[in-house]
This record gives sequence, structure tokens and C-alpha cells, in this order.
Amino acid sequence: MFRPEPMTHLLVVASKERMETVIRELYSHRVFHIRDYVEKEGEKVEGVTIGPPLGSASEVSSKLIRVRSMETTFGIHPDEMTPATRQRVLDLRDTIDRDIAAVGNETDTLLSRRAELEGTIRDLEQQVRELAPFAGAPIEFGHYRGYETLAVYTGRIGRDVEIPVPHEKVFTPSPQGNFIALFVPVEHKAAVDAILQEARFMPIPVPRGSGLPEALLAENQGRLAELKEEIARIDQRIAALKEQQAQFLATCDEYLKSDLEQEEAPLRFATTDQAFLVEGWVPTREVERVKAGLSLATEGKALVTEVPGDPHHPVPAPVEYDNPSFARPTQLLMDTYARPRYDELDPTILVSLIFPIFFGIILGDVGYGLILLAASLGLRRFLPEGDGRLLLKVMRNGAIASIFFGLLFSEFFGFKLPWEPLLYARHLSMGGHEAEGGPMVRELLVLSIWIGILHITLGRILAAVNHGRHHGIRGVIPQLGWIASMWGLLLVIWSIVAIPVMPDLTGVPPLVAGLSLPALVGGLMLILGILAIASESALELTEFPTIISHTMSYARLVAIGLSSVAIAVVVNFVSIGMLIEPHLENFSAVGVLFILMGIAVFIAGHLLNTALGLVGGALQSLRLQYVEFFTKFYKGGGEKFNPFGMIRKFTED
Amino acid sequence: MVDAVVTQAAIEMSVEAVQASQIGMKALAAAIAIAGTGFASAWAELSIGSAAVGAVAENKDLFGSVLVLTIIPETIVIFGLVVGLLLIL
Repeated sequence: MFRPEPMTHLLVVASKERMETVIRELYSHRVFHIRDYVEKEGEKVEGVTIGPPLGSASEVSSKLIRVRSMETTFGIHPDEMTPATRQRVLDLRDTIDRDIAAVGNETDTLLSRRAELEGTIRDLEQQVRELAPFAGAPIEFGHYRGYETLAVYTGRIGRDVEIPVPHEKVFTPSPQGNFIALFVPVEHKAAVDAILQEARFMPIPVPRGSGLPEALLAENQGRLAELKEEIARIDQRIAALKEQQAQFLATCDEYLKSDLEQEEAPLRFATTDQAFLVEGWVPTREVERVKAGLSLATEGKALVTEVPGDPHHPVPAPVEYDNPSFARPTQLLMDTYARPRYDELDPTILVSLIFPIFFGIILGDVGYGLILLAASLGLRRFLPEGDGRLLLKVMRNGAIASIFFGLLFSEFFGFKLPWEPLLYARHLSMGGHEAEGGPMVRELLVLSIWIGILHITLGRILAAVNHGRHHGIRGVIPQLGWIASMWGLLLVIWSIVAIPVMPDLTGVPPLVAGLSLPALVGGLMLILGILAIASESALELTEFPTIISHTMSYARLVAIGLSSVAIAVVVNFVSIGMLIEPHLENFSAVGVLFILMGIAVFIAGHLLNTALGLVGGALQSLRLQYVEFFTKFYKGGGEKFNPFGMIRKFTED
Repeated sequence: MVDAVVTQAAIEMSVEAVQASQIGMKALAAAIAIAGTGFASAWAELSIGSAAVGAVAENKDLFGSVLVLTIIPETIVIFGLVVGLLLIL
């Protein structure tokens, strides 16, 4: 809580023969975050190089490529699969080569046969295209060729033509273009050419082969149908193979990937002729287990040392969250901004509490809250484990907060619940039905400003803690300065104007020069605060207006909320007030239509408003965390803890 | 006598008219506040948003910081909304 998981810097040194044992051991623990050894120009140590991969790395990687290519063929995504059973690694190791080859061969045979068939189909289709124009002319293809005294014309033509010389002509009109086959004595060729050209004649070469075009065409089309049927059969077999082998391929993928990661691990180590060194971070609570494991595996022949000293320098430790379970989904929101650094406060738990509260204040409506709650619980089944699920949990928390604040605001789809709002009312009146009192906008706005003041003060306190840890009291003073200026300014404002829901200090009698005690104290705090801020850097003072702008920004909690109420009230007014009620009073056949329309408007309108409320509420609430809260104290940019090892889904030892 | 009553009625009418026009003016002022700030927010987010999409296309890790930058100008329209609400309510 508030701190990331404590890490210990470990060095493991052993002789090269032990390298594989050490790798397998570290991999099985899955707690060692390897710090890659990098050969830097100028920092190179004589005799130390990056290690070569273990012996069978290239073999394993080529197998993995084979498996991945089959996965692509079948469209298998191991990430999205949930295996029924796990395969034992030992069984798999014995049979994997044979089984991959068998599945691979079958796949290859099917695919190559399919490709071959597709090639034949393309050729046949080309032939059919060539034959098609001749289909209308009952002339054998052999008769188009082999004349010395006759000129033969075949092709498309714009219209039928009269030929003024002795000739033989077949003309078939067709919507795709009229076909003409024309035989004329060679001596009239020039005259006929001219006539044809005028009729927009486009020659088509006579296809090879013999026989009647109709018959050839029918034969080709018959073959095409047969081939397509065969392709469909092959596709069925591929689909069956996918069904059958999906789990096997995903299992192989996982097994080979884990094997490859281990085979290639030495690329991250520093090695000499005889020994190797691997450096990394282990969560402190796991250190003893890792040491014991390594000692057992190498019979005490590996040297494991804890590197003492500051865990922040020279290379900061990787960051793994350490939060109670209810705050874990919020880590997703933290990672979206930036993971905390190892040496700063981790505000996840605060965000996990404040984010839903802000969301609830914005979308404080029991009806919308229930819809979102149902959606977040219902959708869980359809999403795989991962970020999507976490997001749904964040949404669920928001929905619960929304229901809670809905009860306080006494709102249900924009209607009033049977009790008066326990907080300030947000109900708007519309269409002449004057609601009692109307929304208490001023009070609500001031309430949101109060939330802002407290949230920002919390941020500054966290900043004081963060800076205090690094720079001692010198780091704390400017942060206290910010807090003092803000509260000093508030005191001054309170003693000048009376604001609802805030202390009214205008009545305090003046003490010196017409100024009352609170005004004097406030002024003093303001001046001291400004001096304290300037003590760090005078440039910081350019940020001074953010005291006001950031606080004002919290007005969005109410403003966005009111706009959501307004949409709900409009939807209710249009659907019930304008469409349903009048027609219920004077019931008629046409009225039923209007009532149905009213119901449709009601459902569509409120669904739209739920979506808007979800997006608006979430983004605005998130923004208040990211911009107004985090900028006060949070840097982020920590490296994610990425232990050497794998979470296995398909295999087990 | 009759004249006085008529004059009195005219004065009351004009007071009502002035009050009505004042309400109208307030509503107009609120509308200008919302429209102006809304336009300003949109304008600001237009350029930030397009740059942000470009940046995310280059490097997906930037999504979080880019999201923050994109929603910063939204405060402008919130200020407009607050001013509008205070004017009409």
C-alpha cells in the first residue's frame, strides 16, 4: 500500500557449465527481473562479452516458426483460448517433433492441393471467358481456321452490318456486346474492313481447341463446379483439422516459446571464457526461496549475492504494485498514465477510492447505476482475463458509487425517488411542471469546489512526503507553501464575501486597519506561502494561478452531472409528457402508435444518456486524477516488473 | 380618472416587458457563454487531438499522457457551463 513491492538487487555468478541449470531454475521461479547486460562504448570490460544462446536455440526457433505459420493458416489465437486440460511438459517433449511434423504434413498437403486447384480454376475461368462470346455461333472452332482464300472475322460489333460482297455471316445480339463471325473472300477484305470499322468492330481471337463452343463451355463449367466442390471439401477438412489441433498447436506454441526464452537468455548475460554473470531484481520476500532453489540445483556451485546500497541508484528497481485486491483493477488506470517510480508514493489506492466517488457524483442516478452494474457483471463472461476484465471491475465500482449517490440525490432516470434528496437537489423542472425548489446549483458548485480544495490539498501533502524523502525539509517547504497560499487565499475570500456552504467570516469585527483577524491570518499565510514556493524556484510562481483554475475545474463534477440530469429530464418530458400521457388520456387506435413511439424514445434516450454518462463520467473523473491531482506530486515512469518466466496456460511440469 | 388608470396599466406593462426582456437577456448571455467556450474547447482539442493521434500511432505507450493533454482544454467549456448556470438559476 502506497509503496511498490520491495525489491532486492541480486547478482548470480557461476561457471558456464552451470548456465543452463541456472536458467531453468530462474525461469521456473518467475520472480527474477533480468537487467540485460549491455556492451557500451567506452565501458567495455576486457574479456567480458554478451553470452551466446544455448545449443538448440535455432532449432527451437525454427520449430516455433513452423507452429506459428500453422496457427496463422488456421486462424488460431492462443491468447484468446481457454484450455480444458493442461499437457505435461515431459509427455510433450517426447512427441512434439513427430506430432508437429504430422500435423504440418497434413496441413501442407491440403494447402498445396488447394493452391493447385485454385490455379486450375483460374485457368478454366480464363478459358470460359474466352469461349463465352462464341457460344451463340454454332460453328466448330476447327472451321474458323486454315483458309487461304477466305478472310475470317470474329469479334464484338456495335450493330449488325450489311455486307455487299459474297459472304457467310453469323450475328448473335447480346447485352454484353453483339458477336459477329464473318467469312469473306480475301479479295474483298479491304472493303469489309472499312465497313466493320464503321460499325465499331473489335476483333476477338479464336480460342484454341476444336468442337462446338456450346459443348466446350458446358464441359468447362462442369469441371469448374467439380473443382469448387473439391475446394469446399478441402476447406471442411482444414476446419476440422483446426478444431482438432487448435489446442495442440497452442500448447506447442507455449512450450516452444518458453523453451526459446530460456535458450536465448544468455544473450542478456555477461560472460567470460569460464563464467557468466546475471544481474537482476527479485521481490525481497522471494529472495530466500530463489537462493535456496539455485543452491539446490547447482549443488551450491552458484554464487548469489545481494547488492547492498541504495535501491534507487544507479539503476532504479523495476516496479511491481503491492495493493489490496479491491484496488488492483485501478492499476490499469495508473499504467495508462505511467507506472509509479520505485522511489515515489504509489497513489493507486487513493485513486481506487476517489475515482468511483467522482464518477458517482457525476452520474448520481440509481437507474443508470443499475444499468452499468448489470452491464459490467454481464459482460464479464464474454471477455478473456486481462485488461478488459479489469476495466469492467473499475466500471462496476463506479456503478456502485453511482447508485449510492443516486440514492443521496434521490434520482432514478431523472425522476425523483419517494424521498427528498439527502444532499443538495439536482432535479430540473421542465414543461411548466415547476419542481419544488429546482436544482440548488450554487450549493452544489461550492460543494464541488470543496471537494477540489480537499483533493488538491491531499495531492500537495503527498508531494511534501515525496519531496521530503529525497530532499529533506528543503523539499517539504515549497509544498507547504502551496497549501498555505491556497488556504490563506480562502481565508481572505471568506472574510470578504459570504459564500453558501463555506464559513462566513464577513461578520468578524475588524482588528487593524479595517482588516479582521481571519483576513490578516489569511494574508500572512498567502505571503509566507508565496515566499516558500519561491524558495525552490521563482519560476514556480508562474504556476500560481493554477490554485484557482485547478480548484474551479472541480466544478465539472456538478456541471457534467447536471447536464446528464438535463438530458434525462428532456427524454422523460418528450417520451412521457408529450407522447405517452396525452394518448393514454384520450385512448385511440392511433394513440397506441404514439405510445409505442414514446416507449422507444424513452429507451433509446436513456440508453444514449447512460453511454454519455459512462464516457463523460469516467473521462472527467479520470482527468481530475491525472491533471489536477497527479500534477501535484506524481511523476511516474517506473519500469514494469517483468520477471524471467512465463505464466503457463496450456502446459505443466 | 380614466386616463390615470390607463397610464398606470401602461407603466405596469412596461415593467413586465422589461423584466421579461431581462430574463431573455440572461438566457442569451448564458447561451453565449456556453457557445463561445464550447467552440473554444473544440478548437483547442482539434489541434491537440490530431497531434495526439499521430503521436499514439508512433508510440502506443504515449496514450496515457496524450489523453491527459487532449482533455485539458475541456475545462474551458466547464467554466462556460458554470457561468451559464449561475446566470440563469
